[in-house]
Amino acid sequence: MKKSISLRVNDQERNLEVEPRTTLLEAVRDQLGLTGAKLGCDIQVCGACTLLLDGKPVSACSVLAVDAEGCSITSIEGLSQGDTLHPIQQAFMEFGALQCGYCTSGFILTAKALFDENPKPSEQEIREYLAGNFCRCGCYQEIMQALKNVRREG
Amino acid sequence: MKNFDYLEPTTVNEACALLKQHGGDAKVYAGGAYLGIVMKQGLLEPKALVNIKKIDALKGIRFDAKEGLIIGALVTHRELETSALAREKFPVLCEAEKEVANIRVRHVATVGGNLASGEPLTDLAQIFMALDGKVKIASPAGERVLSLDDFFVDYYQTSLAEDEILTQVVLPSLPARSGIDYVRFSSSSVVDKPSVGVCARVTLDGEVCKAVRIVLGCVGATPIRARKGEELLVGKKLDTNWIEQAARSAAEECKPISDIRGSERYKRAVVRALTKRAVTAAYERALRS
Ligand SMILES: Cc1cc2nc3c(=O)[nH]c(=O)nc-3n(C[C@H](O)[C@H](O)[C@H](O)COP(=O)(O)OP(=O)(O)OC[C@H]3O[C@@H](n4cnc5c(N)ncnc54)[C@H](O)[C@@H]3O)c2cc1C
Ligand code: FES
Ligand code: FES
Repeated sequence: MKKSISLRVNDQERNLEVEPRTTLLEAVRDQLGLTGAKLGCDIQVCGACTLLLDGKPVSACSVLAVDAEGCSITSIEGLSQGDTLHPIQQAFMEFGALQCGYCTSGFILTAKALFDENPKPSEQEIREYLAGNFCRCGCYQEIMQALKNVRREG
Repeated sequence: MKNFDYLEPTTVNEACALLKQHGGDAKVYAGGAYLGIVMKQGLLEPKALVNIKKIDALKGIRFDAKEGLIIGALVTHRELETSALAREKFPVLCEAEKEVANIRVRHVATVGGNLASGEPLTDLAQIFMALDGKVKIASPAGERVLSLDDFFVDYYQTSLAEDEILTQVVLPSLPARSGIDYVRFSSSSVVDKPSVGVCARVTLDGEVCKAVRIVLGCVGATPIRARKGEELLVGKKLDTNWIEQAARSAAEECKPISDIRGSERYKRAVVRALTKRAVTAAYERALRS
């Protein structure tokens, strides 16, 4: 029943044994111990489980791990270079763009994908791209401030 | 989620053969955006999933002078949204896609899955219908072509048989002097699906309407053509009075249910307002074209 799959996770080759029903989120959290991505709604509306799959944000709660075979995965753990935070992480700290942090990795990874695609997004473009990420602490203003600042630096 | 066999055919024929071999126990898996949810909820428990993502023939968007714009079943919402070819031929599609679901769903969910799931709360079907779109369907016996009007049967039910695969959507080029517009309303309920989506297309002969399509989405088991409303406008020079009458007719022709996205009465009022806007915009575009 189990299948062997290989994933390139945060630039490292990883081989896993998963069941067909194992979600990418379960594989990454339970088998690889990367717990930055969280389970929230489980129906693709909140964004807490976001991972980048070949650079694009996906709801890891709803992607089958077997379907990600051979793909490259980026989780929040792969963003900093040693002790140096990614500029988006840095901006989130500076602007206090989080309270409990449950949504944070999803917001930061989604924003990373946006900036990779479009280095100078307008405020409207930021809002549209991040529209599917929910923050139940309500830090939207601070998140926008942080991202507008990354935009100016970039 | 119950476990299942996971199969990855590389051709349409192979995929259809696998589906046939499993009878109703196997399901086609494309982006998994819909299946992921219904399988977790236990609403569907297939014994096998046939992942069609390795089938190259189902990918890509191209234009054929005879047939029109051809959208592969595996094209994702995001690909359609950002396709330069789609923007050139039917910008209405790219504009509508901007509002579909969220960026994560748009990156994985496919056009084929969007239609094949037969979900009523979607956007593409009513636009494809207003464009007189067709779907191509492959089965072990060969290929058939179906108009979108005939494709949808009931809530979550399409005319796809167990061993059939939707391969392409084909959108013929619009006649000269045509304009099309899509307006969608979402109540921003937790799952950001549309409450109502109205697509209108007007084709003119001089200043008179030669052909009109008014297609209402999310307010019935399948997308609904407001045929009486359309008839009111054919042969007319449009003005606000005629458009208001057609919009009123559309509000009567739809069959909404009351749910968290609005009561039946409210949705009919939204249909009326959106139909007015969509027909007006389509007409203005047709006049300018
Ligand atoms: C949170 C959320 C929000 C959404 N919001 C919107 C919205 O605003 N507007 C909108 O239009 N849609 C919306 N959707 C619906 C979404 O577009 C569809 O669920 C999606 O396109 C399904 O595609 P998929 O490739 O993921 O299909 P899958 O989940 O893989 O499959 C869906 C169904 O279709 C069958 N199937 C898939 N491909 C084929 C094929 N080629 N031939 C035969 N059968 C096939 C499968 O067997 C299954 O029954 C939303 C979905 C979610 C989860
Ligand atoms: S947990 Fe996956 S989107 Fe909410
Ligand atoms: S910081 Fe708590 S959910 Fe966003």
